[in-house]
Amino acid sequence: MKSTFLWRNRVLLTGGALLILSLHLISTGVHPGDLAARPQSVFLEIVSPITGAFTHLSDGASSITRDYFELVHVRQENAHLRDELTKVKADKARLAELEVENQHLAALVELKDALGTNAIAANVIGSDANGISRTLVLSSGSDNGLRPGLAVLANQGVVGKIIAVSPHASRVLLIDDHNSALDGFDQRSRARGIVAGMVDDGVILKYADRSQDLLTGDTIVTSGLDGIFPRGLLVGTIQSVHREGPGLFLAVRIAPAVDFRELEQVLILTQPPPHLEDQAKD
Amino acid sequence: MRLILLFAVFVILGLAFESAGARLISFRALIPNLIIILAVDLGLRHHGVLPAILAFAMGYATDALAGSHPGLNAFMTTMVFLVSYEISTRLMTANAGVGATVVFFGVIATTLGTIAIANGFAALSSTGPMLPGLMLQALITAIVAPFIFSMLAAGKRLTGLPVGSARDGHRDR
Repeated sequence: MKSTFLWRNRVLLTGGALLILSLHLISTGVHPGDLAARPQSVFLEIVSPITGAFTHLSDGASSITRDYFELVHVRQENAHLRDELTKVKADKARLAELEVENQHLAALVELKDALGTNAIAANVIGSDANGISRTLVLSSGSDNGLRPGLAVLANQGVVGKIIAVSPHASRVLLIDDHNSALDGFDQRSRARGIVAGMVDDGVILKYADRSQDLLTGDTIVTSGLDGIFPRGLLVGTIQSVHREGPGLFLAVRIAPAVDFRELEQVLILTQPPPHLEDQAKD
Repeated sequence: MRLILLFAVFVILGLAFESAGARLISFRALIPNLIIILAVDLGLRHHGVLPAILAFAMGYATDALAGSHPGLNAFMTTMVFLVSYEISTRLMTANAGVGATVVFFGVIATTLGTIAIANGFAALSSTGPMLPGLMLQALITAIVAPFIFSMLAAGKRLTGLPVGSARDGHRDR
């Protein structure tokens, strides 16, 4: 049996079959509820608490390191005062952290009230594991009412949309990912385009006609036409407009309003935006 | 079963570390691609159907925390496994140096392959600005690889799995 063709080439044949299976998954896509989506949901559920723990651990480690360097300057003081100082500093750092978190949440609540729609806040606990795509891992999942396709916002502007959920965690595709696209327009000139991410980092406004009036510094907001983001949310400002070169469209670069690396809390709209006709009636 | 458990632990810890690390270190290239190291170890040291399936499963698990096209990381990890397997069947030895070299090229090929499949081959023309960062990440991953191989070897010794290359005699099913 061991001399048969199948046995001798079993690794390559298995690998080939798995490559075909992978290509099938890529081409057909894995939809929520599919059998193929379950292992991923389970895995996200297993890894997200560990990711959260790693994040907490490293936060703690950096806090200890910070405290150590600060203590070097007060070595001359007696042990009691040093302990007191450490305690006070730890409390202060904790309170400062709470204050920042409070400010973020307050800003998100304000945004939620302004939008007048159902929304929930979630903590950011991780980023894309291999860094090729631009995604975030959130600490809330389907048990909190999240599902793929929901809009994710920060108080500064649009963040992205949910692409995968497990009961207690979810993943967000950021607007600067090269697979992301949303409908937006220039608030000054009303010129429309598709806001998309780029492979080599950055965000652009695609399909903006050469005749359109777009200027550096203009504000780009969501149009609401994509059915995901409500109309009028801040996306970013135009960084550069290149009219030179071939092609039908302008090359427009956008500086996103949100600094995705600094995000700690986000707001997820659990209710799809109203149709434009409904908005017009209102 | 022991092989599955050992690699499951490494994959879970590795992905959690990468995901949390990416939040803390703003320069993403400094975080090594640990899954590629695991796939290379499987390809170099475990020749069988189970390791091939395990490589695919590791990639599919990565899809849960990275990328926007489920199946893409599974494809790339299986590919890295098969290339490592082919290399180990053709070389007299499969030591840590060979492993680190395969890891270096594996990281570059995986990233560029992912971009090409997800966005079309034309997108490769705009990858120029990301190449220095990619090279740095590949180099860091290759430097880290021998340590991960040692940790895997220790884990295999602890669980009673064969440590050496599959060329040395043992075969997984």
